[in-house]
Amino acid sequence: MIEVRGLTKRYRDRSVVDNLSFRVGPGAVTGFLGPNGSGKTTTARVILGLTEPSSGTATIGGRRYRDLRHPLREIGALIDPGGVNPNRTAVEHLRWLAAGSRLHSRRAEEVLGLVGLAGAAGRKVSGFSLGMRQRLGIAAALIGDPPVLVLDEPINGLDPEGICWLRTFTQALAAEGRTVFLSSHLMSEMAMTATELIVIGRGRLIAAESVTAFTERADSSVRVRSPQLDLLEVALAGAATSMWRVDDALEVAGIGIERVGAIARNLGVQLHELSPQRASLEDAFMRLTADASEYLPQPAA
Amino acid sequence: MIDSLAMEWQKLRPLHKTSRMVALAITMAVVVSAIVAAAMASNGAQMSLSDRRGFDSVGTSLQGINAAVLVVAAFGALSVTREYATGMIRTTFLTQPGRLRVLTAKLGIHAAVAGVAAACACLAAFAVGQALLNSAGLSVGWGNSHLAAALGGGVIYLVLVCLWGAALGALLRSSSSAITWLASLLVVAPVIVQILPQHVIDLFGRWLPSQIGQQAISSSPNAHSFSAWIGLTVLAGYVAVTLVAGAWRMARTDP
Repeated sequence: MIEVRGLTKRYRDRSVVDNLSFRVGPGAVTGFLGPNGSGKTTTARVILGLTEPSSGTATIGGRRYRDLRHPLREIGALIDPGGVNPNRTAVEHLRWLAAGSRLHSRRAEEVLGLVGLAGAAGRKVSGFSLGMRQRLGIAAALIGDPPVLVLDEPINGLDPEGICWLRTFTQALAAEGRTVFLSSHLMSEMAMTATELIVIGRGRLIAAESVTAFTERADSSVRVRSPQLDLLEVALAGAATSMWRVDDALEVAGIGIERVGAIARNLGVQLHELSPQRASLEDAFMRLTADASEYLPQPAA
Repeated sequence: MIDSLAMEWQKLRPLHKTSRMVALAITMAVVVSAIVAAAMASNGAQMSLSDRRGFDSVGTSLQGINAAVLVVAAFGALSVTREYATGMIRTTFLTQPGRLRVLTAKLGIHAAVAGVAAACACLAAFAVGQALLNSAGLSVGWGNSHLAAALGGGVIYLVLVCLWGAALGALLRSSSSAITWLASLLVVAPVIVQILPQHVIDLFGRWLPSQIGQQAISSSPNAHSFSAWIGLTVLAGYVAVTLVAGAWRMARTDP
């Protein structure tokens, strides 16, 4: 369980994270979503004790990272594919992590097997592709068999097969009852991997709910087709918040599908289509973070 | 603390760079000692009896530490700066969140390795130096009463310089600036000081690390220098001040 309370991080006069509070519970993959520059990495770094917050706290199972005696046994982390001396071999890198966590050096070989790098154990990290470095980073996160995992942008640099592997892998870890906190700016991937979401923009919390609730909350609409569409449009105008024509159909927002059906029946109009239009996670995200995006292209003056 | 030490040892162990630096320090010490001793031996014939009596055979054989000192300093500095350069420091702090514990373990392990390397360098340099001086009848052999103090002084000098390097590395976080500072303090400063008027050198020269190192291995005290142990205490003071600043930065500034 990760708990962030009233977290604020200011660099001079700029707030990167602004009074952020959320909880990440066990047994699920929780996505940490936000545009680039929204404060995801800073938040992850504060949780991991690498950045001192201006105010607020971040705890893992009720304790601050710096108070953990052997942190890698409590929380595994991937913050960047770096963090490795490239002159070392993969297994050498993991061995010193094991030594520092008072784990048997055998764990180094075990976790390399878990992430599919057993064959590259004796190779220098300098010869690794970005995808292999990500896998090594995930191996490092798993070395202490921790109940909590924080993975910052883990799919960066992974090939399609690697992305698929990571998805099933993280879901399996969550199914074992672990807390998996996964940050990304790629919504489509998150929609497939995560079941819970923390969404931030400009360092502020935008949403903390399940993926289903999040997509439902984003305005969904109802699509109607009818030979007497003009008549229906006039009748719906009073009830809907907005309407727009798409080819020969009308999309209506802010009104339930049952109401649309009832209004059509009362008017006696014939319907060719009456269907709910569900917004994708991507649409919902874009809509909710539109004004929270830090670096939007500015129109030329 | 044991796991912090184990971690630092495990980091150091597989690196070929470590063994290469240790080998380099020993080689430099032996080669330079050999050159100095050979030069002295060839002059031996022209030396007067009083010159021979006052000749510092032990100190001459240990001149090689002046060459090894920069390697040892760089070894100390790189122990910290290389982690900042590769980003490995973040992984280190994820594994061991106690900044000062990590720094202490790092200093301990590196000082131990530097100590072993320095002892090998001093013994080898002495053996080679004495062999060369023997031809001119200037050797004193292993039974010399001053030998233990000179060897000990040389080793302590090199270990302190290694710690100084690590402290500067923690303070500056950059390999190039840490090594530039160390080269300036250890090698360039003594050269620059030489162009100053003699009475100024007599007054301030004793504070130079190189002068302190020279006294640590010398058996002939110099009126314008600190004695060996006072000099090493002064050097330890430089190390302590730099270390406090380095530890403060390591603990306070995010990696």
